[in-house]
Amino acid sequence: MAYSEKVVDHFNNPRNMGSFKKEEDGVGTGIVGAPECGDVMKLQIKVQNDTIVDAKFKTFGCGSAIASSSLATEWLKGKTVEEAGKIKNTDIVQELNLPPVKIHCSVLAEDAIKAALADYQKKADSK
Amino acid sequence: MDEHTHNTGDRRELMMARSMCWHCQSEMAGEYFCDRCVKVQPVSKDLDYFSCFGLPRRLVIDTNVLETKFYELSRAFHPDFYQNKSDAEQTISLGNSAMLNTAYRTLRDPIQRAEYLLDLEAGAVKDIRTTPPADLFEEILELQDTLDEFRGSDRASAQASTLRTKLHADRTALEQRQREMEAQLLQLFGRWDALQDRGEVTEEARAERNQLLKNMRSILSNRTYVKNIVNDLVETIA
Repeated sequence: MAYSEKVVDHFNNPRNMGSFKKEEDGVGTGIVGAPECGDVMKLQIKVQNDTIVDAKFKTFGCGSAIASSSLATEWLKGKTVEEAGKIKNTDIVQELNLPPVKIHCSVLAEDAIKAALADYQKKADSK
Repeated sequence: MDEHTHNTGDRRELMMARSMCWHCQSEMAGEYFCDRCVKVQPVSKDLDYFSCFGLPRRLVIDTNVLETKFYELSRAFHPDFYQNKSDAEQTISLGNSAMLNTAYRTLRDPIQRAEYLLDLEAGAVKDIRTTPPADLFEEILELQDTLDEFRGSDRASAQASTLRTKLHADRTALEQRQREMEAQLLQLFGRWDALQDRGEVTEEARAERNQLLKNMRSILSNRTYVKNIVNDLVETIA
């Protein structure tokens, strides 16, 4: 089974790879994984005035998992926190043309977004 | 005891499903052989591995009984003894032997046995997604980072040797974690079996059952995760 062109593109030129310091102000970190396939994904957002100004990811996993998280960071930038919460894994599936066996990669990306947002909120609330 | 009668009830039902001998069409009373014409009968596809060996559906089983029954049935079904029989009997002997081997391999290993039983029992909880602890993922992410660095390093360098030492320590920690999870599992197995033995049908018993299934499933999958990572690690630093 071949990967779609978009997956290959994200895999070869991942956008926003890297990480922020977890403790940094306005940074939310989400780390999720899928025991079944051994993937692990870290996604971070940097929020200023309720808007995500930057996003980074680091994923150890298959091409689809890398592409899903790469795409997610692209989409996150410029969105408000509320808008970001509305990103659905099905959007990722559609954009990347993921086959059924790779849908769990997009679910992982959605989980990572949710986890990062929750972490950001938690940090913001505790201030 | 309740549970036991329940089990034999189940088995009777299963046998009813193939109540006729494929050869002489007489009512089947025997287990794997027709009482009347003594022909071997195919093991029903619906028969679970536990019933196959006449074992109760438990997570802790008497492996001696399993082994004895396995040898007994292996002899009974072995294709060598069917060489002079009809094609139909040879096919059945082959099919039964294959099924028997898979069943034995699955039940012999406590982890595989648990995974199998969970699949049998899970039903509704099958689709519940479990969330592994976040600290496990952090640990694994860090480890993957180090592994990456190590793969890209010159193996003879001082940096590689520092990384190697760190990876060895990580390996020890992860293996320790795996052992802890196995101990937790054993404890849950005991609780599950005790619950089955009590055979209660109350709301609390059902809730406990589902909770146990969920916990076991989650630890089993995390254990596999850790085990795979350890294998990966061992391969890289070998």
